[in-house]
Amino acid sequence: MTFAAPLALIALAALPLLWWLLRVTPPAPRTESFPAIRLLLGLNPTEETPARTPLWLLLLRLAAAGLAIVALARPVLDSTGSLEGGGPVLLAIDNGWATAADWPRRVQMANTVLDRAARAGRQAALLTTAPGETGAVPRASAPMPVADVRALLGAARPWPWPSSRASAVPREWPYAGTSVVYIADGLADRSEFSTFEKSLSALGKVTEICCGPAPRLLRPPEAGASGMTIHVARAPGGLAESVAVLARTGDGRTLARADIALAMGQTAASAPLPLPLEVRNRIAQLVLDGPPSAGGIVLLDERWRRRPVGLLATDPAADAPLTGALFYPRRALAPFAELRDGDPTTLPPGEVSVLILPDHALAPGAGQETLTAWVEKGGLLIRFAGPRLAEAATPNPLLPVPLLTGDRQLGGAMSWGEPAGLAPFPAASPFAGLAVPPEVRVNRQVLAEPGIDLAAHTWASLADGTPLVTWRALGAGRVVLFHVTSNADWSNLPLSGLFVDMLNRLVALSAGVASAADSTVLASAESLDGFGRLGRPPEAATGLEAGAIATTPASPRHPPGLYGPENSRRVLNLGAANLELATVPRIDGATVEPLTDTPREREFGPPLLAMATLLLLLDMVLALGLRGLLRRSIAAGIALLLAIPTAHAADPIANPAGTPALTTRLGHIVSGDPRVDALAAAGLVGLSEYVNRRTSAALGKPDAVEPGQTDLSVYPLLYWPIVADAPEPAKPAAVALNAYMAHGGIILIDTRESGSGAGFAPGTDVALKRVAKGLTIPPLAPLSAEHVLSRSFYLLNDFPGRFTGDAVWAQRDQDRANDSVSPVILGGHDWASAWAIDANGRNPHAVIPGGQRQRTMAYRFGVNLVMYALTGNYKGDQVHIPAILQRLGQ
Amino acid sequence: MVSRSTRSLAVWSNVLADPPPLPTLDPARARRAEALGGRLPPLLVAARRVAATVAQGVHGRRRVGQGDSFWQFRPYAAGDPIGRIDWRQSARSGREAPEGWLIRQTEWDAAQTIYLWRDGSASMAWHSRAAAADKRDRASLLLLALASLLLRGGERVAVLRPRGRPVSGRFGLDRVLEELDQARDDDDLPPRFPLPRYAQVVLIGDFLAPLERIQETIARMAAVPVSGYLLQVLDPAETTLPYDGRIRFQGLEGERDALIPRVDSVREAYRDRLKRQQDGLAAICAAAGFGFGIHRTDRPPETALLSLYMALSAR
Repeated sequence: MTFAAPLALIALAALPLLWWLLRVTPPAPRTESFPAIRLLLGLNPTEETPARTPLWLLLLRLAAAGLAIVALARPVLDSTGSLEGGGPVLLAIDNGWATAADWPRRVQMANTVLDRAARAGRQAALLTTAPGETGAVPRASAPMPVADVRALLGAARPWPWPSSRASAVPREWPYAGTSVVYIADGLADRSEFSTFEKSLSALGKVTEICCGPAPRLLRPPEAGASGMTIHVARAPGGLAESVAVLARTGDGRTLARADIALAMGQTAASAPLPLPLEVRNRIAQLVLDGPPSAGGIVLLDERWRRRPVGLLATDPAADAPLTGALFYPRRALAPFAELRDGDPTTLPPGEVSVLILPDHALAPGAGQETLTAWVEKGGLLIRFAGPRLAEAATPNPLLPVPLLTGDRQLGGAMSWGEPAGLAPFPAASPFAGLAVPPEVRVNRQVLAEPGIDLAAHTWASLADGTPLVTWRALGAGRVVLFHVTSNADWSNLPLSGLFVDMLNRLVALSAGVASAADSTVLASAESLDGFGRLGRPPEAATGLEAGAIATTPASPRHPPGLYGPENSRRVLNLGAANLELATVPRIDGATVEPLTDTPREREFGPPLLAMATLLLLLDMVLALGLRGLLRRSIAAGIALLLAIPTAHAADPIANPAGTPALTTRLGHIVSGDPRVDALAAAGLVGLSEYVNRRTSAALGKPDAVEPGQTDLSVYPLLYWPIVADAPEPAKPAAVALNAYMAHGGIILIDTRESGSGAGFAPGTDVALKRVAKGLTIPPLAPLSAEHVLSRSFYLLNDFPGRFTGDAVWAQRDQDRANDSVSPVILGGHDWASAWAIDANGRNPHAVIPGGQRQRTMAYRFGVNLVMYALTGNYKGDQVHIPAILQRLGQ
Repeated sequence: MVSRSTRSLAVWSNVLADPPPLPTLDPARARRAEALGGRLPPLLVAARRVAATVAQGVHGRRRVGQGDSFWQFRPYAAGDPIGRIDWRQSARSGREAPEGWLIRQTEWDAAQTIYLWRDGSASMAWHSRAAAADKRDRASLLLLALASLLLRGGERVAVLRPRGRPVSGRFGLDRVLEELDQARDDDDLPPRFPLPRYAQVVLIGDFLAPLERIQETIARMAAVPVSGYLLQVLDPAETTLPYDGRIRFQGLEGERDALIPRVDSVREAYRDRLKRQQDGLAAICAAAGFGFGIHRTDRPPETALLSLYMALSAR
């Protein structure tokens, strides 16, 4: 603890004087009015002992005075010392990408520096070294009061590009006695540090606060056949640590995780991230686990992700079930890749990375040239053999190996041989590691012309050594040939699971989508901020040529993020190119302080002063009390103080538990399954919130009710999820439910397994029959679009919940009992799951088949239902308004 | 002057508020006083010699005059109104008319006027924490109750103040109340103005003024001659001095402050002084033929009213 104004402590020496003064001054007498004063005049006793101030009161006053003096000396806790010099303080702070990970700590450090400047009564200036989102060159602010600098500092944030220090230092700095504090990130992002160092030292004495843990940078991964290889870079000087890389989908779910160990001083490490293909297609970004930072995130675009496959139909019957040439490839690839159709002369629309061409003898011509050009640009052409190819096996650039004319038949009625099985895949093959099922047999094949390099071009072969799959590089792409047909005519390979695996391996091998033309200028669509969040691109962002994306360093003009139109995004990653992680030395002659979590220094003079004031107030109260002036007012004050919390406690908004009638609220019937009941409660909470937001109805928190025990009469609507083992309701429960329905209550019975959700809750149909046995359920009819329920608030055509597609049942319209209000709505769309929200307000259950529209429609059905329950047939009567108006007009 | 400057504003305003605002007429006070006196029979003042008034009252003067009770018959003289002739008595006399005509004469019934006064000075408008009511309120209540009793007894009652007019009859009480509220006596002793001879006065106040002034006042009344009763109303705090410690006492009528360092040390001396004052009052009253009583405001007013009643009716 130090004192900012220690001279004030001299006043402590005056305390004994105060003691003496207080002792000799008697307390003021109480004053009483008295009519018979004439009798008192002259009644002074002979001896008068001087009245003395009580000792405790004396000590109280001395304590108050002492506290005030100490407070005026401005004591400071956790003092960090003072800065040299007397002029302004220039606070330079790096805010490049590497500072995001520990940005709060840096801001705290900067605030500590500002505290010091404020304590010394100095002005301060702020210099952030990274260019801002306008792309403007960073400039130091003019010296200004510390409070204003704090506002500037609060507005500063790390940027997702390196700092640019050379231009940052002010050339004109006419302030004497400047001291410079530099909070560094320690990276030589661009080689301009020496200029910066020199000009900074020229301004004044430099204190450098450096550095946090070595910054880490996630480099773009490499796509491989079975996953990705992840690269992590780190600035030199780091300690041994283990970093985790998370693979995330676009909606933020983590699908995979790779742990990478970095030894002490190691600057780069890699690790494989094995990913099944179907998972890999959904990954949108890789994130370094830890504090969010633009350096710890890599966005993935089509280069890593999407594998459109083109299917070239060679004859109209190509898609015929079980016999068509494209039937099996389509079935094999449909779950994993986007399929587009074309024919050999006109390639599929859009960009594809793989083309599959079943048995077809390519005649020289336009089609063949198009295909060749496409393969040379990086495409992967997969061909299948067949009778036509076998007959026209002329040497062709689009055949990997020369073929012998005709086909070879293995086994069969006229053959001695047996159908051949597959040999294990060679290690260099992309199929390496796939298990070969013994039941795969090849009956016919086309044979390759034997040659020296045939083995090098073979990825798979039969047990007798004849090639089954051959390949050849052509330009940037490849041509792959299956020596059998793509249907089950020549082999049963297309019938086996191996076929699916092989095709997927091949597709994964492809080089990705042929990129847009290199000269296409792509606009920045979304960009990362310093903390790795996607958002609006900065003002300075300009378009970027597609070909330059891989080599462009991140800057305000080209922020890291997504570029291009929505259907073919390209990404610019911070860690992609030209970003060296090199450290710089400390500034020459600077005082170096560590960047630590120092607590901010705290002046506790003001609280002391407040305490002294309180003591003096207490003294005043006591003095008044000694003179008898305060009794009633103090009692009144205390009563008032006590009344404040009491008044608060009597807040009428607080809804006492156990009185559900005070608010309109929904209820759900307890099913006995805790998971279903929790879901029903969450669903009704979600529906109540939606209703409260969208309509003028005000619903309270829903209740769980048990028929026969809870008074049902206050609930306009009950939700009843049926579970498979639901027992027949007990007699009192059935009586209560029947009375509830007879007197206008509405029960929504949900079997939770119809339509698209069939099979989700097996057995509930049977259970429904069981539980409904004791209930008087009227004759039901499917809900139509004419029913009041589909018009009571929103106009609805169907009534989806989590599931959709099945009919929902309600009382037949002909029944006029109960004012035509159906006492039962029966369905199986699991509405509670669709309505449910969790504590964060999110919907934890996906709707099936999905889409925001289905969710919205589910909520709208809920709103209609609540309105129906609250208004009865009023909405039904609205239908007749035109007729009534017409009659009135007559 | 230093001691004055320490006075609280309330005390100064009390001293300086001259004249005090007129209190509003409150019939409830009269009703309350009537209720208080309602438990006693009507009071007929025992008057040895009745003041020479022409007003008709209940005190027979043993002379011919206006009244209700028969006094004598006398022969008709010319000029007497015909209507005064007692025809039956005239017939019984057996003499010729008009010599045998007899005039019926009644006794002169004169009224006795009771002058009532209560101390309205600032020192009366005070009560300590031990008492619920001001001394002035209590004095006014006693005065009104007494007036009510007297009016019911047929007496004439007046508030002792210049131009105060005697009232009588059942509805005179409101008039008394009105007069009482209009009385602006800042002096702690009854005002000087000529009273009729043989009138009765009832004086209610704290009588803490110097004994010489009180004696001068009482002696002046006794010389008229006027007799009456003097009731001292005191707050319990004034009789016991229940204070402790160092206290600055402030008077209510502009007296000097009294700073008593330890009140408990002077309590005995104060009681002695009060006793001497009361003894002096009793002696003065006895010498002037007045009755004397003491009433504390923490006692019920009925006791004081009863003693007043006894004292006035017994004489």
